[in-house]
Amino acid sequence: MYRSSNIVARIFDRQICTPAPGTSVHHARRFYENLVPSYTVYEVECPDHSFRKFTDDGQYLISFSRNHQELIVFRPRWLSFSCNDEDCDKHDLPSKAKKFDSFFSQLYCVPLASCNELICKDFFLYMESNQFGLFATSTAQIHDAPAVGGAVHGVPSIEKITFHLLRLEDGEILDKKVFCNDFVNLTHNMGVFLYDDLLAIVSLRYQTIHILQIRDSGNLVDVRAIGEFCREDDELFLNSNAQGMALSDKNKQHQLPGNHIENHIHQDQPNLGHSFLSGIKQRLLSFIFRGLWNEERDDTLRIQRLRKNFYFHFQDYVDLIIWKVQFLDRHHLLIKFGSVDGGVSRNADHHPAFVAVYNMDTTEIVSFYQNSADELYLLFEQFCDHFHATSRNSMYMNFISSHSNNIHALEQLRSIKDKASSSSQFVKKMLASLPFSCQSQSPSPYFDQSLFRFDDKLISATDRHRQSTDHPIKFILRRHPYSLKFKIKPGPEAGSMDGRAKKISSFLFHPILPLALSVQQTLFLQPSVVNIHFRR
Amino acid sequence: MESVLGNWPSYDPHNFSQLRPSDPSSSSKMTPATYHPTHSKTLPPPDQVISTEAKNILLRHIYQHAEEKLKPKRAASENLLPEHGCKQPRVSS
Repeated sequence: MYRSSNIVARIFDRQICTPAPGTSVHHARRFYENLVPSYTVYEVECPDHSFRKFTDDGQYLISFSRNHQELIVFRPRWLSFSCNDEDCDKHDLPSKAKKFDSFFSQLYCVPLASCNELICKDFFLYMESNQFGLFATSTAQIHDAPAVGGAVHGVPSIEKITFHLLRLEDGEILDKKVFCNDFVNLTHNMGVFLYDDLLAIVSLRYQTIHILQIRDSGNLVDVRAIGEFCREDDELFLNSNAQGMALSDKNKQHQLPGNHIENHIHQDQPNLGHSFLSGIKQRLLSFIFRGLWNEERDDTLRIQRLRKNFYFHFQDYVDLIIWKVQFLDRHHLLIKFGSVDGGVSRNADHHPAFVAVYNMDTTEIVSFYQNSADELYLLFEQFCDHFHATSRNSMYMNFISSHSNNIHALEQLRSIKDKASSSSQFVKKMLASLPFSCQSQSPSPYFDQSLFRFDDKLISATDRHRQSTDHPIKFILRRHPYSLKFKIKPGPEAGSMDGRAKKISSFLFHPILPLALSVQQTLFLQPSVVNIHFRR
Repeated sequence: MESVLGNWPSYDPHNFSQLRPSDPSSSSKMTPATYHPTHSKTLPPPDQVISTEAKNILLRHIYQHAEEKLKPKRAASENLLPEHGCKQPRVSS
């Protein structure tokens, strides 16, 4: 639509021409080809905090103190100064441009963690509609914790995990949710998923998915807990039946006083842990059974098939645990099941994994796939955007490049597929990213694959730390004239002195303004080097 | 000059001079044929409401796949599905 790459010509074109239907946002984003963060201020003097990210509406910059006990929130603003000379462009920026304060103003500093707790600096969720932020603090992890009270063996335990809900406007703590002697995977938001106002927290240790609602008033309200029980009245029903059995057992337990403290949570249901599988496991097993039963008509063939595919693997199915969960919409969850060993380890490639779609309202499993299933991969390839469940309020989520909405990303995926040695390995690798983690991609238009081309290994929309190189990372236009538009160079301008030290960098891009922070850290507790990249 | 386009201004007065207005005798050719339905089978029901499907396309596909797996063996599955919704305590032996 734009005839020229000159910004003034484009503004005139915009006055006259209407873009094709449904592409008005894409055309507006093309102005980011002209407004790029091309100027870098190296080694800005900034407070020694660990900067986490910009909120997705660009209103706040979230950071944590070095000792991981306080939250500091900044408001991004722009550099402003005046110059009296005629040729202002030729002048260097004034010295105050090198200060962090010129770009960010501190709003408040709130202590979140008490003495023995630490803020989990990899965890942050933002609810844009109310400007609420969710943070987590936890005490130290205890490995080899004994499996008491229905806990899964092999999963570590944390004495106290607290989720804090804050109003980011003023830093007021609105509500807290505490989990005791539990384990929730907090790194990179893996164990928690926020969809609209619904929050799903996976307790790996007790194999329960807690669904909470964040109300406008700022309260965290329990909606349901899926795991041992599926429907809200399951527990009541089982309890009323178990009472008869429990009475006879209680008499026996009173004779063993030593057990009181450890078992006090489950004293009224002493037999349930042994005789019944958890509610969700029952749903899963019966779904698998029914699926296999339906495949054959003849009874003998059915039994053979069940014996081979179901009963042979029965114990493996029973031993599956919930690894990760995401919402697909307000009623459906995508649950990943796997073995205990893979649940907490980082590299889960060698462990079998399964993906199930669960309807929370009917409490039924809708479908169940192994993580190498081609059917699931086809859905992933075609409808990747729908796996990134986007709430109705955040429209920008629709424009984050993925291989389902962007031809260049799709080409990249296809080239990886063609190079892959084995198709099932490729499918497994791709499906390992399911379920997706919440809010892990930056909505900045500079990561839009149809606008810019950049090296995926050095920088991308996903906010993860990466290996740092001394070479600047180039952003090249995708369209004519295919020129280099800007470079992002982390670390000091002249490159660091110690070339051998391993450096990692993280990049924080403002979602709207042409402003980015690059933070380079060496692994020896030296202060990090922060550069500010902006459009001068 | 009378024309279908009326007296609109034109850069060159000779433009559109070849255009002749339609003759009254050939007006019947201009009337397009109208088609009337011979039955009312395709009329929508009077209380029909059209709304967006609540399930997104991914979930629709997932449900479709799940139904396809059950479909061909429908006769066999009838024996298996128990009655839903009746939570009656069973006498434990």
